[in-house]
Amino acid sequence: MAVKPGNYAILEGIQAEMKTNKDLTIFWQNRPTAVSPMGKVIDLGKEFGNARIPQYTAIDEEWYIGACAGMALTGVPSIAHTPYMCTTRAFDLVFNQIGKLRHMTGGQASMPMVIWQDGAGRQPGMAGQHADAGQESLYAAIPGIKVVIPSNPYDAKGLMIAAIRDPDPVIFWHYGQINAVQTDVPDEAYEVKIGEAKLVQEGTDITIVGYGPAMVEINKAIPGLKAAGINAEIIDPRSLKPLPIEAIAASAKKTGKLLAVDHGHETLCGVTEIIARCAMMGAGNKFHRLAFPDAPPPGNKEMIGWMTPDAPKIVAAAKKMMTA
Amino acid sequence: MASELSSENQTDSPVTAESPAAPRKGLRRRSFMQALGGVAGGVAVMAGATRAKAGNSWDSATDLSDEKLMEMYTKMLKSRWWEEGMKDVFLKGDDKMYGVCHLYIGEEAVAGGCIGALNDDDYIVSHHRGHGHLINKGGDLDKMSAEMFFREGGYNKGFGGSMHITDVSKGILGMNGIVGVSHILGAGAAYGIKVRGGKQVAVSFGGDGSVNNGWFYGALRNAALYKLPFISVIENNGFQVAIPTTETISVRDLSQIGKGLDIPSYTVDGQDIFAVYAVMKRAVDRARNGEGPTLIEAKTHRFYDHAGMARAKIGTLGAFGLPYRSDRDVHAWIANDPLPKFKNALINLGLLDEKKAAALEADVKKQVQASIEFARKSPMPKQEIGLSNVFAQGTVSPSQLHA
Ligand SMILES: Cc1ncc(C[n+]2csc(CCOP(=O)(O)OP(=O)(O)O)c2C)c(N)n1
Ligand SMILES: [Mg+2]
Repeated sequence: MAVKPGNYAILEGIQAEMKTNKDLTIFWQNRPTAVSPMGKVIDLGKEFGNARIPQYTAIDEEWYIGACAGMALTGVPSIAHTPYMCTTRAFDLVFNQIGKLRHMTGGQASMPMVIWQDGAGRQPGMAGQHADAGQESLYAAIPGIKVVIPSNPYDAKGLMIAAIRDPDPVIFWHYGQINAVQTDVPDEAYEVKIGEAKLVQEGTDITIVGYGPAMVEINKAIPGLKAAGINAEIIDPRSLKPLPIEAIAASAKKTGKLLAVDHGHETLCGVTEIIARCAMMGAGNKFHRLAFPDAPPPGNKEMIGWMTPDAPKIVAAAKKMMTA
Repeated sequence: MASELSSENQTDSPVTAESPAAPRKGLRRRSFMQALGGVAGGVAVMAGATRAKAGNSWDSATDLSDEKLMEMYTKMLKSRWWEEGMKDVFLKGDDKMYGVCHLYIGEEAVAGGCIGALNDDDYIVSHHRGHGHLINKGGDLDKMSAEMFFREGGYNKGFGGSMHITDVSKGILGMNGIVGVSHILGAGAAYGIKVRGGKQVAVSFGGDGSVNNGWFYGALRNAALYKLPFISVIENNGFQVAIPTTETISVRDLSQIGKGLDIPSYTVDGQDIFAVYAVMKRAVDRARNGEGPTLIEAKTHRFYDHAGMARAKIGTLGAFGLPYRSDRDVHAWIANDPLPKFKNALINLGLLDEKKAAALEADVKKQVQASIEFARKSPMPKQEIGLSNVFAQGTVSPSQLHA
């Protein structure tokens, strides 16, 4: 048990699964390696060999996401690691194959595969393609796909292990912002159940939800909320599909107010579904959404900073909801 | 000339240049070296009265005027020293630079030779390592520097940064952060030329990593089918980030990929601007004549790290001590630096002497410094501007203020 960065925690989980599951294969456009803060090195290529860690996968996300689907049909589980915004390069494979095969084949086809999108998220200087976020909502809209979005290294490791063990395809959104979040990460393998929300803080005044990088910002907003005298209940759904709506709705019912935060784009970002369902369930009577505008992320630091929902904006929004 | 070329291509492997894995290696390499390669051999040929008949019987640079040669050289200087200038501001830290910067240093003869064969109204589509393409196509140093600083006076007004610099007015259809897309955008631009009945050509640049996905094949296949005025240039620098190219594809000469589609396809020494120009000129002539696309692989070297300034030092050319490559290789690449090679050729042609060369270099460095000053003085864009340029008209809503 120690504080570990996100990348290391996830690879540690994969390493454990590769030891017990002799077929588990991972495609990565480099060598899957990570070093812990104590200097412990994970080098999956060295440990498991070239067939299961195809040395130096080419820059061809369509190939290896498609290959994972083909392998899955033969019972070989796999992980497709894609950098930055490149998961969407294989959107059709996910939409027309990976999400549909089990259903179309009358339940014959199993899809034990994980797409691990690494390194995405709002960041200055990258502009447009390399600083985007929110694609999880596109995938959550596809039948047959599970979508998880951890907000810290502990959840990341546990969700990755759960995703690997899941017989269905899981897309794992690993935003760069979560890597440095300080959580104790056990050395051994453990699962964080997919579809189970985490109660981050109990409160009575307002319910605040968000996942991934939005939850990183919500956590940063806690002192500001306290200082403003707001006793917020904070919930991290951790997965968008399945969506743990019961826990969120119960909270919204209790507090009456729901503030949903998302680093995706305003129109149809993932938390929109949370608001809609709570409204239909009669949970809460006041709703607000804090999201990135319907614009690609600009490169300029001040521009993107102003557009990104961050801790001060979360505090301001909560205050407004408390008074208005 | 063009039909001669394609028949050559159909019956044999690439003709112009060094092709290490192809048969008859020794012969080809020797004749190539005599004609265009190493400074001494190349210079002897270049100084001849006809200004270079290559050993492979291709004209090398006979059609290049003195003025054009000097323009190409000046652009190579600009490309080199503008990027060295960027390296310095990143390393010094005073300007608090952020974002990415993929240095093209070492690869400049590819852009120089290719774009030297283009007209002003031709199109290029670049990739993440594209500063050199822009500068050769007439990119303005002030606006490029200001974009590196994400300022209002930058090419993209602070929206894009290094990886996306674009100047549509000069046929620069942009650098791009997604590997491989340049080829399909370039082929599309060529289709646009066909629709309008223009005489331009469209050129896509891509790294060796860009040949490994479907867009590249789609571009080539359709350019061949429709005989599009399209040229795909693969800048093979031997690495994709830290991955050796040889670990990602089974062929050694990437030009081989075009052959199954009967596309004239050549591998050329990318450190030699004359060799690159000679191949490109013929590709451009074919394209303008409606004879269809050409695939060119230029073997080249990047002197610095993939992105950022790891192990780079102010005042030192090249990054040493990077874990995925050997310093001995880097020294050998720098010994084959395209810039002094071009300079020496021009000196032998009587177009330049050391004194003139030094003055030219000093002038270029001054322009680079002036561009950095321009960037520093250029205003910051207003934050709300990020809501504009999403559509042709209007702005989108600042959603975070809804609460
Ligand atoms: C589709 C896609 N996949 C992955 C990346 C991440 N990436 C950026 S540059 C690069 C290496 C590109 O290598 P190459 O095409 O050889 O160009 P070079 O950098 O060597 O000039 C990678 C993997 C990306 N930008 N786009
Ligand atoms: Mg490369």
